[in-house]
Amino acid sequence: MVGAASAAAAAGVTEMADKDTKIGAAIAAATCSLLGTATPGVSIAADTQAPWDVESAFLYYGESDGRVKDMSVSAQATRDYGDERKLGIDLSLDSLTGASPNGAMATNGAQTFTSPSGRATYSTPAGVVPLDDTFHDTRFALNGNWSQPLARLYTLNAGLGFSSEFDYQHLGANFGMTRDFNQRNTTLSAALAYAQDTVKPVGGLHAPLSQMTDAVDYGEDGGGGGGGGSDSKNVLDVLLGVSQVLGRQTVLRVNLSYSDSSGYLTDPYKILSVVDPVTGDLIGRTPAPGASGPTGVYLYESRPDSRRKEGLYAEMRHDFSGKVLQVGYRYSTDDWQVDSHTLESRLRPARPGRRRGPASRPPPPVSRL
Amino acid sequence: MRKLIVLAVVCVSIQGCASLGVEPWQREVLARDDMQLDANALDTAFDDHIYFSKEGTSGGRGFGGGGCGCN
Repeated sequence: MVGAASAAAAAGVTEMADKDTKIGAAIAAATCSLLGTATPGVSIAADTQAPWDVESAFLYYGESDGRVKDMSVSAQATRDYGDERKLGIDLSLDSLTGASPNGAMATNGAQTFTSPSGRATYSTPAGVVPLDDTFHDTRFALNGNWSQPLARLYTLNAGLGFSSEFDYQHLGANFGMTRDFNQRNTTLSAALAYAQDTVKPVGGLHAPLSQMTDAVDYGEDGGGGGGGGSDSKNVLDVLLGVSQVLGRQTVLRVNLSYSDSSGYLTDPYKILSVVDPVTGDLIGRTPAPGASGPTGVYLYESRPDSRRKEGLYAEMRHDFSGKVLQVGYRYSTDDWQVDSHTLESRLRPARPGRRRGPASRPPPPVSRL
Repeated sequence: MRKLIVLAVVCVSIQGCASLGVEPWQREVLARDDMQLDANALDTAFDDHIYFSKEGTSGGRGFGGGGCGCN
């Protein structure tokens, strides 16, 4: 393994159980990883390891009928400084395109909406769920994480993260500790993360439940019922975990998580249809003379300004003579009454691996999305 | 109440752990790269991104990551 580059391809098999969400569209998701050992340009002495270990991966996710498509590239570089001191750097670039539902309901007639920029309109035929096809986003994310032993059996890790989209910025920091017990067969971990995000919607911030107005094709800040400006969102996360070696081929991990978000949690691009309480028909609206604008009454969304989530995550890895089966389950509930159950399994073909230990240690809980 | 039950289960599990596990010389499989809990971090991050978008929730495995990636 010393100095020699190795490459392997791995395909992930993912299952997803949605209790409350229906994804009507056929979904094709494929992930592919290319794993390689980075070798520096200079030759390496036989008794030293390559300092950087680099992995990269590509994701294509597509829904049918012109809906959301996502292409992502990620790279993760890890440098081992010896004595279990490690630096990790993650980079990822994410590109989202396609049409996304704007939140309005399908009606018997054609509908017209003002686009998020507030400078144009788009229309939806009768009987079709309105989609906003101006939806697109490019995200760049950079994370750094450091971990090192603090004392025998204790490990410390700390990280910083940054991500940027044209209408969203994220800054985050995390800190965690782990403690091994029981001949390192059991590990307890605790971690904290804090994030400060800024939302700067295209077309400006809309007052909660304000009405969508006619398109305005001049002005720096656009129109659409809102001015410019930005708002912020703060997220505090706490994670408590235990991992346990169950046998020579089996390891289990259980995490409890708590997350408290506050600030601007609304999706600035989603709207509500206002309908007649008796007939259920959309209440009509006539654009001003000479202007183009919505043909119904639509209100910009207003979500609560705080959200508390609790979650339970359990994962087991078992080795079947070289093949590794990974099964995970996540339950999440919050005070917005969003409950989700996610069941996931992967079977990995046997591949030559380098040794690392001890096996009971959980990963540093760094943000990687 | 549910939190208490979860806490009790966790406590009992931790106590039970003292009799679980392997000796240091029995770790030849556990020490393998693909048996680490953080193996395939990039793959799992991609999956978490999809779950986040489709389920309206995030986190669990680690921290919910940065950015909106809304749709």
